[in-house]
Amino acid sequence: MPPRIPPSAASITIPRPSVHTHCKSCLTRAFSSTPSSQTQLRKRMFNWLQGPGANFRQPLANSTNYLSAYDRRGNLIRDRNKKQGSSPEPVSEGPETENVVALEEAAEEEPRLRKEDEEDLRPFPLNHTFISQSILSDELREEIWKRVRVDGKSVRQVSVEMGVDMRRIAAVVRLVEVERRMVAEGKSLAIPYARAIQSMVPVNKLNPQTRKPVEEHEPINDLEQHPMTYRQIFWPTSESRAFTRTDAGRVFSGAPRLPDEQERGQDGKPLLEPWQDTTPEIVGKPGHEHPVLKPADARIPHPHLVAYEKDKLDPTIKSHEVRARYVERLQQEDAKRKAIIERQARIEEKKKIRIETDRWQFVVTEVRATRTGTGLDGRGTKAPGFRYGVPSQERKKGQVKIPTSVEV
Amino acid sequence: MRNRATTPLKVKKTFLGELRIRQSWSKYNLYNLSRLAKPRERGRNLFQVKWTAKSIARNYHGEQVREKQWVRMFDTRIRSVIPMDAKYLASNDGTLESAGRGSGLDSRESLRRKPKADPSIPYMQMTFAPLERRLDTAIFRAMFASSARQARQFVVHGAVKVNGKEMRYPGYLLNPGDMFHVQPERVMFATGAPKPSAKLEAATEDADGEENTAEEKEGDTADEEVVEDQATDDVEVERDPREVLKDLKAQAKTILASTKQDLGAKRKQDLRAFSKTIQRLLSRSKSSTILTDSIEAQFAEIQHQLQIRRQNQEAGTSSLPSAQDEARASADDGVEPSTPAEKGEASTEAGHEENSITDGEYNELLAALQSMHENPVDDSKPYATPWMPRDYMSAFAFIPRYLEVNHKICAAVYLRHPVARPGLAEVPSPFSDLVQAPAFGWYLRRR
Repeated sequence: MPPRIPPSAASITIPRPSVHTHCKSCLTRAFSSTPSSQTQLRKRMFNWLQGPGANFRQPLANSTNYLSAYDRRGNLIRDRNKKQGSSPEPVSEGPETENVVALEEAAEEEPRLRKEDEEDLRPFPLNHTFISQSILSDELREEIWKRVRVDGKSVRQVSVEMGVDMRRIAAVVRLVEVERRMVAEGKSLAIPYARAIQSMVPVNKLNPQTRKPVEEHEPINDLEQHPMTYRQIFWPTSESRAFTRTDAGRVFSGAPRLPDEQERGQDGKPLLEPWQDTTPEIVGKPGHEHPVLKPADARIPHPHLVAYEKDKLDPTIKSHEVRARYVERLQQEDAKRKAIIERQARIEEKKKIRIETDRWQFVVTEVRATRTGTGLDGRGTKAPGFRYGVPSQERKKGQVKIPTSVEV
Repeated sequence: MRNRATTPLKVKKTFLGELRIRQSWSKYNLYNLSRLAKPRERGRNLFQVKWTAKSIARNYHGEQVREKQWVRMFDTRIRSVIPMDAKYLASNDGTLESAGRGSGLDSRESLRRKPKADPSIPYMQMTFAPLERRLDTAIFRAMFASSARQARQFVVHGAVKVNGKEMRYPGYLLNPGDMFHVQPERVMFATGAPKPSAKLEAATEDADGEENTAEEKEGDTADEEVVEDQATDDVEVERDPREVLKDLKAQAKTILASTKQDLGAKRKQDLRAFSKTIQRLLSRSKSSTILTDSIEAQFAEIQHQLQIRRQNQEAGTSSLPSAQDEARASADDGVEPSTPAEKGEASTEAGHEENSITDGEYNELLAALQSMHENPVDDSKPYATPWMPRDYMSAFAFIPRYLEVNHKICAAVYLRHPVARPGLAEVPSPFSDLVQAPAFGWYLRRR
């Protein structure tokens, strides 16, 4: 039996605590002669990382995990509100063996977290104007790819159907194609990484019934603010005549008013509906030419939707007719676009001379170094070729060699 | 690079508005972000406010870019969009807005009832938008690298392609429609949990050195392996198949359950043992032609068997899968006479085996195998395997809308330049307008 240790002398002789026995520095100071391994700042940081910061170490299941979703003490804000609302239910303890399974299942089925609202989706607590927006899920991407590549629909049509921007549709198709090629080639994909990311960021899923995104993904008719419209202009107009968006565009670009027979407000007949008016019109003095700003109807990505809505508003057109006209308009547009691409390719091809040999095909492109390219002084850089007496700037200091574009 | 980007915890006189925030996922950065405050304004003149604002902002936005370079890139034109409603455009050609308001057109009521104003467009948040065009920043924003510096390194080291061509300039300005692609290995390294350090490894190896050495021996001599396998097979045959499968199930459960925790040597051994037991189980069906020792083959086999079960269930003859298998085998006979007998035998054996496993068990097995197949334990990788996201990653996880990212292939498309829209700015920035607006003013001064 070990000997009993008597109460230490120190504990007996300690005086009763009073204001005089306690000094602030005595309480906080470490009486060790070895230098501290951590500074105060580091200590505070690790305290935070073990306290409120511990939430961020691992991703939160089925949810995003941003700083602004938590309060200062590290409690999930939307969870906290719910906890206050409902009291925990008492669990009756019955015979174990059979109930264990049920209990385990209940434990696995954690009370589902409420969906994040906009406040919880801010990764930077101080910046209220940046929120983490959702990405497309894998199924949604596959669906988009299928509609474009398998069903042969145009990008424009799929964009309207799915509520996804046209550029994004094109990018998704491109990326899925690359993915398929990589799978076919047997290259390894970063699947665990992709899965982890999908669990961390908000994801827009595919609705299996409608085959469309569950939430509206993004606005598809974004009008870019044109620099010409930055100015504020005071423009007196007559009250007796209508001033439309077309007129406003002309004012902004300093173009003269349309003649009365073309102006809609004067019961004239415009050459084209505002939504289909894309023919460029150049105004301005020589050297300061610029195109006339078109109305918003023509500048949005989906002008045909304006026509569709107009048809819907028109009581003389029946609903099935509206649909038929919409489809026809889409087809026309598609055909027009294809014709343009074809024509451009033909023009390009015309410039080239192809010479077939049994092994190679030589493509010769004709170039011309005329005054328009070389300039009046003969030093211009637009025309190809080396010019005598003009030094090359290629190796000079400060020449930026970073390419400005990479062709696909 | 001449300088290094540090994330100091110290600030002058505890002015928490002047903390240095970086484009990085480090825990130091997260801590600084959590205690970041508004910049002080009281008692400071406009020059001081602008100077501090720009230096705070530049610590985050393109700190790898020289000031002179950035000043050249700065643009006073701020891109913004306004979502238009086609219905509104169809019903109104703009005359409503421009119509006269005088001569008593405005009633009292319409004056009082103001239309709900859209949230304002945060133009000032777009001050550093031109920097988002840089290749290294875009790689960081697509979550392919854990910091902008690391992204820069990937580019310089030749791990990044733009439109299928190697691009070694981190300052390349992406054009709308450009696709960039980072080597998946690099991305997994950058975003994965780091490998346990050599010291820790050594410590664990000492603890269970015996088993490791045994394994090494196994790898060295193929003959021994065969002998061992046969021995274990003999043992296994004597055991009840139900028991074996139960063990398997338990193992699979633990593996699936504890994916979040760190993987030590012990867990790796568990995983290896698991794959071995499955191999043994399957080898008893004596279909040695199909089964090799690779995990992939096992995976394919199990998937195949599962499919057979599903088909049987759909046909409604769940009780007798073996008979169906035989029928299929005989059909196979007709088609390819080269390996008929063995195949048939294998499938029947497998069918008998299956009777002892429930569907749930099979699914679990499949899930465990699938996770092993996709996320294997591989010591040759420069990151901890199986792959897990690195710590504190989720707090920084977001994909801005101007990028379309496919994480599986580690490629992304730069769709368009970032824009501001009512109430939203697309440039990710930790700072409020109190910093961004004076910073914009600072650079405006030189234009």
